[in-house]
Amino acid sequence: MDITTRTQNNVTLVALAGSLDSNTAPDAQQALEGVVAGGVRKVVVDFTALDYISSAGLRVLLGTAKRLREAPGGGALRLFGLNQSIREVFEISGFATILAVYGTEAEALKGL
Amino acid sequence: MTIGADLGEVAGVNAAFSGFADAHGLPASIRRSVNVALDELLTNTISYGFAGRGGGQVTIEAELGADRLSVTVTDDGRPFDPLGVASPDTALPVEQRKIGGLGLHLVRRLMDDVSYERRADRNVVVLAKRLASGKTGSRQRKAHGHHHPNAE
Repeated sequence: MDITTRTQNNVTLVALAGSLDSNTAPDAQQALEGVVAGGVRKVVVDFTALDYISSAGLRVLLGTAKRLREAPGGGALRLFGLNQSIREVFEISGFATILAVYGTEAEALKGL
Repeated sequence: MTIGADLGEVAGVNAAFSGFADAHGLPASIRRSVNVALDELLTNTISYGFAGRGGGQVTIEAELGADRLSVTVTDDGRPFDPLGVASPDTALPVEQRKIGGLGLHLVRRLMDDVSYERRADRNVVVLAKRLASGKTGSRQRKAHGHHHPNAE
């Protein structure tokens, strides 16, 4: 999978491309952990180019959300651009209500 | 196709299935559901089915009918029914336990039908998705892999 990050203002955008599954979850975890370890507290993950996600990927997102929530001063993880298949996985797993999911990048950034 | 019981082989299976799905014009939604189900089922089987021994093998066959796609996963690991109540791994913290049980839950919910049987010392799991009629040809097609699940 391809992972690209860019920071603007106080927000780091992490774009994931390909599939977030058992094979790629370690890479995504490393990237997201690195962002949080670097002191970033507002993370927005771009799912626009993500094809599908399995439970290994959900575990990475949940871990990141928890780390941000527990970080000094608090933090936030927001996601946007989920395709229909990923939305289905989020709904089946209950993650649609656990994580903050937005439609577009503008919506995800609003008020962050 | 047949793979060794190695987690590093799972990505290759999904790449092969995606190629199969593209070659037959399957809708992306169905291809993605099967990609997820294969990731969950294979990682589960490989992680827990062969504990303490090497040389395990897993065979994956995809078969496309007029209105049904089925993917059969056969392994020679210890008996395990993914449709049964998954016993929690008490060595894990509670939050991870919940996530751990999530994978097979996804398999059951994303597929239209999942069946299990223990046959000739092997676990045989069939994942099936219904296809809208007219999406594929009416001819029965058989994909990569062995025609006989027991072949090695």
